[in-house]
Amino acid sequence: MEYDENGVSIVPSEFKKEIFEEAKKDFRYEEYVRGCLNCGVCSGGCPPHRFFDFSPRIVLQKMKSKDPELIWAMMDEYVWACFQCFTCAMICPFLNSPGGIIAILREIAVRRGLESAKKVLKPYSRVLLKLTAYGNQLSSDMIQPDFFPDWGPHIGYASADLAIKRKAIPMPTLQVTNLAWDVAPEAMKELYDIFDEAGVFKIIESVDPSLYEIIEDIVDDVRNS
Amino acid sequence: MAENILVVGGGPAGLHSAVTLADIGANVSLVERDSFLGGNPKKFKYKFLFPDMQPADDVIGELIKRAEKNDGVKIYYSSNVSNFKENEKKFDVTIKSPDASETKTFDSVIVATGFEHFDPARDAKYSYQLFDDVIDIKDLERMMGENNFVRPSNGQPPKNVAFILCVGSRDRHVGNQYCSRVCCTVSVKQAIELRERFPDCDAYIFYMDIRTYGFFEDLYWKAMEEHDVQIVKGRIAEITSGPNNTVICKGEDTLLRGPFEIPFDMVVLASGMEGGPQSSEMVDKLGLELNEHGFLKPQNVTLAPFKSNRKGIFLAGACTGPKAISDSIVEGGAAAMDAYIYAVKNK
Ligand SMILES: Cc1cc2nc3c(=O)[nH]c(=O)nc-3n(C[C@H](O)[C@H](O)[C@H](O)COP(=O)(O)OP(=O)(O)OC[C@H]3O[C@@H](n4cnc5c(N)ncnc54)[C@H](O)[C@@H]3O)c2cc1C
Ligand code: SF4
Ligand code: SF4
Ligand code: SF4
Repeated sequence: MEYDENGVSIVPSEFKKEIFEEAKKDFRYEEYVRGCLNCGVCSGGCPPHRFFDFSPRIVLQKMKSKDPELIWAMMDEYVWACFQCFTCAMICPFLNSPGGIIAILREIAVRRGLESAKKVLKPYSRVLLKLTAYGNQLSSDMIQPDFFPDWGPHIGYASADLAIKRKAIPMPTLQVTNLAWDVAPEAMKELYDIFDEAGVFKIIESVDPSLYEIIEDIVDDVRNS
Repeated sequence: MAENILVVGGGPAGLHSAVTLADIGANVSLVERDSFLGGNPKKFKYKFLFPDMQPADDVIGELIKRAEKNDGVKIYYSSNVSNFKENEKKFDVTIKSPDASETKTFDSVIVATGFEHFDPARDAKYSYQLFDDVIDIKDLERMMGENNFVRPSNGQPPKNVAFILCVGSRDRHVGNQYCSRVCCTVSVKQAIELRERFPDCDAYIFYMDIRTYGFFEDLYWKAMEEHDVQIVKGRIAEITSGPNNTVICKGEDTLLRGPFEIPFDMVVLASGMEGGPQSSEMVDKLGLELNEHGFLKPQNVTLAPFKSNRKGIFLAGACTGPKAISDSIVEGGAAAMDAYIYAVKNK
């Protein structure tokens, strides 16, 4: 890889073109990018537009510019401000889907293990671990004051004596604290087959190799049990 | 014997057709479904007309007077065409009035059934009918016409008013992809009227494109130059309720780049024009065709804009698409010429 005088890696323009071509090949592309009235309705309804320098209208305009440089520049940081709520797609008078185009770009970034995807996914490694290894997202023992300060002043109380508190929940599946519910090994094995087929494990390997190693160990254990 | 010609619809287009035909000697039957003539401008009491702010009563009133005074025009009020049959290049038509039903033979027919206002309640993002202070351009025309411009919620004069363009037009969600052509000019005109009569009230126009085509552009410049109307580029995404009994317009300023949420005392939606149920009614009864936008379809939009797909039936005014009164009147005259030629040739 080449670097400029500031030590920032230079991305060859061929690579940027390749990324754009990959986006265009996506079967959803034609449905998501049509004309654009430049009306701003999508941004007007977009939650992050209100708080960040982010506008789905501009995403769509840059896509329509067909300029690989502009599109590449968005992939680094810009498109990651989107919540994927698809309000934009619901309200666009041209029936565009800026959120959909963003999904395509982000999927490319994740599939190819681009730096931007790695950076964004880093804080989610615990969630990714639970999700891919056990099919759960959050478990009660993940709700710790350090990780969820936004849960307010009672988070300390909420995260103490978890085992006893969970017992108060009547459904038997909720008696664990390291998972949201107990998952049967058969269900996990099926889940792994799905992840294998869909290429999810491969993606994790490319964006977070050390996380992948931990997941791989768990998967092997369950599959051999 | 004089030619017998039927005109359906007594708006600006139909009125001008009827009078023109009578003036060259035809016997005209003018069928109007309402109990009065004058079409939409009369029905919704438009007060002043663009482009030159003539009182609507002078223009529409004059058209009505000419028709009513003309012996060659027989007017059927509160009536409709109940039966329509082609009969060797002529047409046997039954006209149903409240107290009678009459069948006549016509040499040719002009359809001038006009348009309907888009009902903004069909697009939930504008909260029309949810908030009292959200009205539309026809409501405002009527309020101005009745000298009763106050906030519907509390009867007080508003301190600021937002005009929102392209409501019900240029939007695939409501099924109308076309531009309604007059609503930009109507809104600019209304903003000027408002600033003239209520100088303490601020006026904002939120637009995607300002289409004050041709000489109507003068009004757009005047609105900014002489009346300090604020023009903001950004289509409104949502109207919500705000503090102190206000309504908030939310959107993106696409030129200055950034979100806005502005509270207003009143919002005026520039709802557009639609072909309305009368266009389908003409299709069913007279065998005409609709275009893809729900208006009546001319035989050839460029070469034969006043001819319908059926020989001997002609089209005039807003029934073929959104247009201004001057265009509707011009078309009324042109269709009259086509209908007269057809009637003379086939006698
Ligand atoms: C809010 C608003 C403001 C406007 N202001 C201006 C302005 O300031 N200046 C300007 O130039 N233009 C203005 N326009 C445009 C103007 O209203 C139209 O150009 C004009 O009304 C069209 O005339 P028309 O005769 O074709 O149709 P209409 O005015 O719609 O008249 C059609 C007539 O046909 C009758 N009819 C319909 N169906 C039947 C049937 N089946 N049988 C019998 N009769 C029937 C109707 O009752 C009506 O009387 C405005 C439009 C809007 C929406
Ligand atoms: S999907 Fe993304 S761009 Fe679209 S409205 Fe939601 S956050 Fe905004
Ligand atoms: S809402 Fe649709 S047409 Fe309007 S700016 Fe956004 S993408 Fe373009
Ligand atoms: S005339 Fe103006 S407000 Fe009306 S549909 Fe066209 S652009 Fe929109």
